[in-house]
Amino acid sequence: MTGPLIVQSDKTLLLEVDHEQADACRRAIAPFAELERAPEHIHTYRVTPLGLWNARAAGHDAEQVVDALVAYSRYPVPHALLVDIAETMARYGRLKLVKHPVHGLVLESTDRPVLEEILRSKKVQPLVGARIDPDTVAVHPSERGQIKQTLLKLGWPAEDLAGYVDGEAHPIELDESGWSLRPYQRQAVEGFWHGGSGVVVLPCGAGKTLVGAGAMAEAKATTLILVTNTVSARQWKHELVKRTSLTEEEIGEYSGTRKEIRPVTIATYQVLTTKRKGIYPHLELFDSRDWGLVVYDEVHLLPAPVFKFTADLQARRRLGLTATLVREDGRESDVFSLIGPKRFDAPWKEIEAQGYIAPADCVEVRVNLTDSERLAYATAETEEKYRYCATTATKRKVTEALVAKHQGEQTLVIGQYIDQLDELGEHLDAPVIKGETTNAQREKLFDAFRQGEISVLVVSKVANFSIDLPEATVAIQVSGTFGSRQEEAQRLGRVLRPKADGHEARFYSVVARDTVDQDFAAHRQRFLAEQGYAYRIVDADSLLSNKDA
Amino acid sequence: MTTARRETGKTGKAPRGGGSPRKGEAGRGAPRTLADELRARPDDDLAALLRARPDLLNPVPGDLTQLATRAGTRASVVRTLERLDRFALQVAEALAVAPDPCPYETLRALMTGDADDDPRIARELPRAVATLREQALVWGGEDRLRLVRTVREVLAPSASHPSPTGLGPTVAEATAGMSPGRVQQIVAAAGLPATHDPVTAVTALSALFGDRKRMAALLSQAPAEATAVLGKLLWGPPHGTVTADPASHLRWLLDRGLLLSTGPGGVVLPREVALHLRAGRAHRAPEPVAPELAPVTEHDQRVVDATAAGQAYTALTVVEDLLKEWESGSPLVLRAGGLSVRELKRTAAALDTTESATAFWVELAYAAGLLASDGEVDERYAPTPAYDDWLRLPAEERWTRLATAWLAATRTPGLVGERDAKARTLAALGPDLDRSPAPEVRHRVLSLLATLPPGASVPPATLLDRLHWERPPRTSADPGTEDLRTRLARWALAEADLLGITSRGALAAHGRALVGAVPDAATPVETAAAALLAPLLPEPLDHVLLQADLTAVAPGPLERPLAQTLGVLADIESKGGATVYRFTPGSVRRALDAGQSATDLKAFLTTHSRTPVPQPLAYLIDDVARRHGHLRVGAASSYLRCDDEAVLAEILADRRSAPLRLRRLAPTVLAAQVAPDALLDGLRGMGYAPAAESAEGDVVVTRADARRTPPRTAPAPVHDGPPAPGPTLLDAAVRAIRAGDMAATAERKPTAAAPAPADGGLPRTSSADTLATVQAAVMTGAAVWIGYVNAEGAASQRVIAPIRVEGGFVTAYDHTADEVRTYPLHRITGVAELVDDSV
Repeated sequence: MTGPLIVQSDKTLLLEVDHEQADACRRAIAPFAELERAPEHIHTYRVTPLGLWNARAAGHDAEQVVDALVAYSRYPVPHALLVDIAETMARYGRLKLVKHPVHGLVLESTDRPVLEEILRSKKVQPLVGARIDPDTVAVHPSERGQIKQTLLKLGWPAEDLAGYVDGEAHPIELDESGWSLRPYQRQAVEGFWHGGSGVVVLPCGAGKTLVGAGAMAEAKATTLILVTNTVSARQWKHELVKRTSLTEEEIGEYSGTRKEIRPVTIATYQVLTTKRKGIYPHLELFDSRDWGLVVYDEVHLLPAPVFKFTADLQARRRLGLTATLVREDGRESDVFSLIGPKRFDAPWKEIEAQGYIAPADCVEVRVNLTDSERLAYATAETEEKYRYCATTATKRKVTEALVAKHQGEQTLVIGQYIDQLDELGEHLDAPVIKGETTNAQREKLFDAFRQGEISVLVVSKVANFSIDLPEATVAIQVSGTFGSRQEEAQRLGRVLRPKADGHEARFYSVVARDTVDQDFAAHRQRFLAEQGYAYRIVDADSLLSNKDA
Repeated sequence: MTTARRETGKTGKAPRGGGSPRKGEAGRGAPRTLADELRARPDDDLAALLRARPDLLNPVPGDLTQLATRAGTRASVVRTLERLDRFALQVAEALAVAPDPCPYETLRALMTGDADDDPRIARELPRAVATLREQALVWGGEDRLRLVRTVREVLAPSASHPSPTGLGPTVAEATAGMSPGRVQQIVAAAGLPATHDPVTAVTALSALFGDRKRMAALLSQAPAEATAVLGKLLWGPPHGTVTADPASHLRWLLDRGLLLSTGPGGVVLPREVALHLRAGRAHRAPEPVAPELAPVTEHDQRVVDATAAGQAYTALTVVEDLLKEWESGSPLVLRAGGLSVRELKRTAAALDTTESATAFWVELAYAAGLLASDGEVDERYAPTPAYDDWLRLPAEERWTRLATAWLAATRTPGLVGERDAKARTLAALGPDLDRSPAPEVRHRVLSLLATLPPGASVPPATLLDRLHWERPPRTSADPGTEDLRTRLARWALAEADLLGITSRGALAAHGRALVGAVPDAATPVETAAAALLAPLLPEPLDHVLLQADLTAVAPGPLERPLAQTLGVLADIESKGGATVYRFTPGSVRRALDAGQSATDLKAFLTTHSRTPVPQPLAYLIDDVARRHGHLRVGAASSYLRCDDEAVLAEILADRRSAPLRLRRLAPTVLAAQVAPDALLDGLRGMGYAPAAESAEGDVVVTRADARRTPPRTAPAPVHDGPPAPGPTLLDAAVRAIRAGDMAATAERKPTAAAPAPADGGLPRTSSADTLATVQAAVMTGAAVWIGYVNAEGAASQRVIAPIRVEGGFVTAYDHTADEVRTYPLHRITGVAELVDDSV
């Protein structure tokens, strides 16, 4: 029994957390291995080519990686695996994109056969220009993103050293009166700024907005911020006004309702990806100013067309903010090649341990369907099954009981189906926020919730992203978008903001027993458990019968 | 007598020749035959001979003459030559082109050449000669070294089989069939005085070619092109071709006998000339010493041992996984023997490895006797009882069982997937995988690695070079393919790595012990290897770590019973040093199906988990157990239902109902194990009046003879002889007969017999006419139109251009199919000539 690490044949690394060297080992492997699961005793990391290239981009070499594995491994590491790692890492940086004093953007190689190989590829040929010398080939500046994407697909990721334009300068300072950047936020900003472009991975509620603000204060240039929706855009604006020297007038909102272009402009993905007559009319936003920095909020949700626009923005600094690099559509490699390598990463648990996000108690409540409900469920059409079991009347009773149990605490009831939410709102006597609720109304209600004027709020999935409800201590999930892990993370994030009194947050999922609802819940909960949140399963009956449990 | 002989043998030992009669016994006279010499050898030398050539012992020869005779048989000689190292073989080859007998100095000159610039040759030559002598390939005194005649025949150059030295025949041999006049011409052209008979002429010519100075003088006059020609033939092959009217420079060479004619158009470079041009060397590159094993890369011995031990453990796991897989999913044995490609692929997928590696593991388990075919009618492969014994052994002994079986096996899994001479794919576990040199090569590869310092490795190419030197392949196969021994060595290296005998190309300590390279002779190699391996293998653990994400992690190998139970209770998610298990409703149900109860399972987990059982896991087990067995399935032959529960109770209580084997499923339903009619009869016998029920629940009204078959068609009538022909057929037949008749009788003109595609009938001619017409067509090269009935009896018309007719077959270019085909004559219904312009 020596090292804390076990290297598996499928290139996963198992780290025993309770081992005395676990911390040192975690630090050693974090640069190149992606944390996949972090349950209580053994964390699973995965070594992927992207992870290894991320490490190379961060200045680590194969020797360090191999040393880390060999030094901390409990059992001898298979030689073939080490060789494979070294070979994979050696692929990064053989090709470099650099700025040539005469020819502009060029692709340079230290390994001529590799250059020959990729130049023979049909996908690369249209992207490159004249061969300048045996080791250099010209690249059209507009293809900078494209070629990086293509080369990554070919397995020869190019290192982008061509630098950035400064953009139009604009004074931005952090206004740190009464607060200051947390140490990990500062590290994240530094990591990003040093690397040029890239992605910062922080859990929900860990203050990603402030990392964005910090990056803007470093850049001191006009900034374009891309966010998921209007509420989120307002939130950003609010935070920026509060935390930086920027004023309301300097920040513009570019959304469905307003089209303002100011030194700092916040645009929604939705307006950018609106297509009219086959073209994207709002694309000119990217060219409307000489942006010095582009910030992508929630990178894991970045819609495909935005990648396309981003490919043309390679000369500008890009900062991606996200809670997870995992994309349900598997486009992680596009994030790597177009926005940049991962620059900072901290696991949830660690930040929670530092007291910056609230600990959470996750409970799955299993509801027994009544006999008539079971029969109805069994005969429902396949596509209706989930909707049926997710919205059964029994759930309502349990939800009411839960709300009653946490009376006086700020409670969010989150669901997928509007009629279910309306019904719940009626029974709980609580306002409902859904898609058709106007933004003004939404903000009014959110505000009232923040002030404690109302303690229960029923929200549909419009509230999934980027709204800030600091005092929500209880979240009750009654239905969701099937088994989306994404959504689970976002919803948990609603209650993870630090509470004023520091007490534990509660996250309930109400699930119908022996139905697809239970299967989807299992899928989502696995994600929670893998994030290190212990969860319990209780029966609704015992909850109802014993209300003070 | 024996003693006396031994003494002479010992006194006669020369300082460098090694173990042979020499000047010391000159008084007794040199041995006249090999048998003579063998007789004079001491017993130790004879033992050495028999050790080196064990084939001579089978059966034990009656006397030394018989031994000598047998040593001279071609099969034995070839076998022995194949086992010589490269230098000994080169020496033997040199002796084969040297005069017989050959003094030692002459041999030495052939090896070193005139320059004598390689001291290694002079140093190694006595060893090589001693080796040849020990193996009874060479005999005779130091001044009269004689190659056994068969060896000379095998090695000496001939037209069909050029010598490895690249030397041609001697002048004497090459001029054997030449006219005396021609010999005299050559002698004259070479500037020698005329002699009165061809023998002296040839001797004079040989002497000239053998004399460096005179030869140099002669060659200095040669035209430049002639020198170039000689240069080309110099290192062999010595044969060339010339036209009937050779160019002047060739003429110059031919005139002087520097090239001798071997037949029409063929010339050869005589051996003496080649030797002169080679400055006396028989070989272009003598290789007196074995290639060095370099460059040596030193690894940390402990790391090598640990990694190899890790791989050794993996090997055990893989073999176990394989056999566990085959316990239930036993693959079928192919009719020709072996494992089908599909099964190999399936097993490879199950083991998560490549097909070639799978072939290796399968063959390894087979060689170790852990799996075999069951010999049933429906023959399948399955683990043997020896596998169960093997499982009970400690890990290190399980490994040595595998490793020793591998070392000794002649089966070579590397061949799997290749094709044999008949282009059949060689299947794993199939026939024809045995290669007898395999164990020897494996052993040699490992012993060579054992000569390196511990933890050191050399590039595989060096190792292969060394093996090549030690046992050069007899025939140089075409350059694209490697000889068998090299391939065997490559496989041995790869397989040793898979087995954990080596790691990073270096032999691990336990591997070293396995090949007996550890100086402790008292313990058997298996025990020594096992003892070295044991401390490096991971200790089996008795616990796992349970986690809330419904996984269990075993941070090392588990004790067998624990691993087995866990394997049922959870799915394996990742393997390696540790094992990650995942609990799913399916896996828990599997454990419940296997007879465990929820309480057992929870107790099992509590006992074996280092960490508390997470609540969600306990909940999962309870939840699955709650539903497990909720629905019950059983088989019944019939049922009995009645709305009156009392009647059913009455029937059950009645002793007469016992043979019906009734069981109460519900208050109003009984299940019976007898057929419905028996149940009906039984109940009637008991005085009840039951009614039968159909599958839909209706009462079946029984009637006698109500039985029906499923829908059936009436049988088709079977007529004697062919069916009566219909009018269409008759019409066609008559027309065909008429056409045939016309064809046979009509005066055929090329245009008159043109095919009539419109009516579609086949041409008909008598077989004699067919043959004649086709033969004529072969001569003229004309195309003909034939009617042809294929093997299925389908008739067709084809236009063919016959190429040849033989053995009842016509080979022809088929215009219809656009390729050359062969038609049996008896299938050709008839033939007609074509109009010239129709093709």
